[in-house]
Amino acid sequence: MGIYFLSLGLLLLGALISVVVSEKWKLKVCTVSSLLSTGLMLLPAIAVLLTGMELGQTVYMSPMVGYVDFRIDLLSAFFLTVISIMSFLGVLYANGYMKPYLGKGMNVSSHCFFLMMLIASMIMVVTVQSAIFFLIVWEIMSLSSFFLVIFEGEKKEVLNAGIKYLIYMHLSMIFILAAMVMLDAHAGSLRFADFANSITPGSTYANIVFLLAFIGFGIKAGFVPFHNWLPDAHPAAPSHVSGIMSGVMIKTGIYGILRFLLFIGTPSKLISYIVLAIAVVSALYGVLYAITQHDIKRLLAYHSIENIGIIGIGIGVGMLGLAYGNQFAAVFGFTGAILHVLNHSIFKELLFFAAGSAYIKTHTRNIELLGGLIKKMPYTALLFIIGSVAICGIPPFNGFVSEFLIYAGMIKGVPASSMSLFIVLVLSIAALAMVGTMAMLCFTKAAGIMFLGNPRGVNLDNVTEVSRVMITPMTILAFLTFFIGMFPQYFIMIAMVPASMFTGGLASLNSLGSLYNMVGELSYYFFLFFILVAVLLGLRKLIGIGKENAVHTTWGCGYDRANNHMQYTASSYADLFISTLKPLFKRVSHIKKPKELFPKEAYYEQEIEDIEEAYIVKPLINWDEKFLTKFERIQNGNIQQYILFGLIFLILAIIGMVYFGG
Amino acid sequence: MAISLLNILILLLAPFLMIGVIKKTKAFWAGRKGVSIWQPMRDFIRLMKKGSVISETTSWVFKYTPVIGLGAVIFAAMFVPLATGQAIVNLPFAFVIFSYVLGLGKFFSLLSALDTGSSFEGMGASREACFSTIVEPAFFIALASIAALTQNYSFESFKLILKNAGGYGYIIIALAVVTLFIMLLIEGCRVPVDDPTTHLELTMIHEVMILDNSGVDLGLITWSAGIKMFIFEALIANLLIPLSWPLWVSVLAFLAIIFILAVIIGTVESSMARFRMTHVFEFIFLMSITALLILALVTYRVYGG
Repeated sequence: MGIYFLSLGLLLLGALISVVVSEKWKLKVCTVSSLLSTGLMLLPAIAVLLTGMELGQTVYMSPMVGYVDFRIDLLSAFFLTVISIMSFLGVLYANGYMKPYLGKGMNVSSHCFFLMMLIASMIMVVTVQSAIFFLIVWEIMSLSSFFLVIFEGEKKEVLNAGIKYLIYMHLSMIFILAAMVMLDAHAGSLRFADFANSITPGSTYANIVFLLAFIGFGIKAGFVPFHNWLPDAHPAAPSHVSGIMSGVMIKTGIYGILRFLLFIGTPSKLISYIVLAIAVVSALYGVLYAITQHDIKRLLAYHSIENIGIIGIGIGVGMLGLAYGNQFAAVFGFTGAILHVLNHSIFKELLFFAAGSAYIKTHTRNIELLGGLIKKMPYTALLFIIGSVAICGIPPFNGFVSEFLIYAGMIKGVPASSMSLFIVLVLSIAALAMVGTMAMLCFTKAAGIMFLGNPRGVNLDNVTEVSRVMITPMTILAFLTFFIGMFPQYFIMIAMVPASMFTGGLASLNSLGSLYNMVGELSYYFFLFFILVAVLLGLRKLIGIGKENAVHTTWGCGYDRANNHMQYTASSYADLFISTLKPLFKRVSHIKKPKELFPKEAYYEQEIEDIEEAYIVKPLINWDEKFLTKFERIQNGNIQQYILFGLIFLILAIIGMVYFGG
Repeated sequence: MAISLLNILILLLAPFLMIGVIKKTKAFWAGRKGVSIWQPMRDFIRLMKKGSVISETTSWVFKYTPVIGLGAVIFAAMFVPLATGQAIVNLPFAFVIFSYVLGLGKFFSLLSALDTGSSFEGMGASREACFSTIVEPAFFIALASIAALTQNYSFESFKLILKNAGGYGYIIIALAVVTLFIMLLIEGCRVPVDDPTTHLELTMIHEVMILDNSGVDLGLITWSAGIKMFIFEALIANLLIPLSWPLWVSVLAFLAIIFILAVIIGTVESSMARFRMTHVFEFIFLMSITALLILALVTYRVYGG
């Protein structure tokens, strides 16, 4: 545990030093402190994962907070590993990404400080096991990420997105607080250790606690319908922050949900179905809206919602497995979900970084204006394509492994007793399959329009490949996606360790050995696949020898003067799908029709609004505004009246105290 | 080992003959003599001897896609029971692996279409991507239902339907055949979804995606398209051939079913035109309906009555 505190201290030290040194050195200081702290933090985390022995220490903080439990149990250890590695890669990438912003009077100081604070607070969120201090570090995490989002706060939309994010995070806080208070009231203690098993599993009280926590943490994680901050905050933030937020920070929401699941014991069938339903809706909703987006970072943000949905499906299947006593569904649901936490953080960071590299060079996030980047930025393009394949769950990359586990849990999780569960599971399987193919549509669009073809609007003459500092973290991430995809058995074994906290011991896993062996066998066949492709490539080369290849323009069906604006666009690529599912979208068109005999200016623009925002959030806010303006009269600037209000309140409070207290 | 080799040999060669039979059938209904059924093979060999014309817009994606596509299709076929009724690699949850591996090939073929920067090829890619979002869930519903019915999670479950479902088994098999046949028409890009012989780019799906491929690449793509069709025919054949038949009989029956399916495809293509694009969706949703019917029947069989 000493190493843990040392590592945490290094992060905070880095944060402080980075404030005082000159601008050039700030990020370097951050990188060094993050590297050292990651290296140290991995020691206890991996030790816990390998040995299964928990670490813990109780520290006296202050009279108000009292004693605080710091514990690294199996679940914490897994999240700790993910957070440490992914955050470090984000900081490394920031070294290159922030270069254009240096020396322009931007507030790099506070950016570096809050970046370090965010990492430190995330680490504490997953290790602190006392309610009050947990809420404090949770709040620090939300605030520091808020300051990171508004880095370019002089832009109006960035500030708006930041404030929206802040409001959502405090809504989340209210629900978490309520759940904690309910647990505290029952357990009579603020320590997580006392929370566990304090409530009767399956009781209404337990259900309410879990649902409150699910909403609270679900806002952070981005489950539909609590997702609305995500698609605004991610495009506003700098790319490494989007990467860290989407890859790691929203996973703390998943951590919270899993932690509360441990508190309430075996979940009831009702809440298991609710979790599965919300997760399926999130996955479908996220990918549907991702298809409609042409801002690459907004698109990726919606994909985060989709992947959180997939993780949720895993958790839902696991919970149903527990509720119905189906060991197989429980083990594979939870293992798949936990593994997908790791997998998603890897490929989502990779995609955000690659998209950020394209943005820093072309200064646009609108994919409709891009194209042909693969010739100017070959590495970035390759890395983005690798990330795209991985996120679609296509083998032999890591997305496939966790989705396969969740599929396996669902297919084999069908019990002989319950007809409703059978139908729900089969339909969830179909939903997951649909999510996969829709992700394919979305990412062929993103990768194809951004990187392939010819430039569509932005001049690429001066665009070059990004620096090596930015390529390195992306390469590491791409390698990880591939490595996990090729050797799934080892990572499944690691993810099974925290999953065993939910499914009760590893002993029961022996009966599932056949599937474990099967996954190992699969890794062997993936090697064969590579040999097959290599042999085919060799044959293709052999056949190609001595043949003359002519280079020509793209076939334009007889038309020889095709230009770049005649290429297929992202809108038209997605349009067939969007128009098929018309009722699910709200389309807003801006049209200026050509009018005069010799028309000068005309345009047509179409954007797709989030229906949740258009039909739920906006009306709510309007209603709220209307209601609150009725109180405007009270705020009249007259100090005497304000004092009167205070007096009235005090009198009411005293009467209340006498009445209820007596 | 010998059986695997036999399977692989049939897998690699039969698609040419299958396309030949389809062409011959179409010629018969049109009252023509038609080309020999060996012609697709000859076309392939001729293409293998040619050089390519490559668009200056393209990158490595375009260059490697035909090989990746062929590799993915062959690899996916390993998980599917072929001529002898056994998969070369028999794993549980094979249908998940199978369709995701096919997804790898599809992903790159979509990217390759966008790589040319053409005004037409993206259109085909858009259609193909859009169709598969409806096809895959239906396929998964059908296969997951059959897996739950037979408590067998590999493709072997096809052979156990009758044993587990009794009289309902015949209906389930019939529905599964219809489901897979529609999927075959969609994935193989045949009439009434797509017309492989059409000459207007605007109405094409698969053909428009490969407008710029020529020479060896075109040969590899048509070969992989043939293999893909053959895999779906093999799935249908395995639904129909019971486990109890001796090996040589079932191999012969398999080849006969492939032949009959090719004749049916040819007949369908001769007797109707392709649907308008808006109606294609209705046709694809038919597959969802048959899949849901399988789910309903399995539910009734396992949990009802």
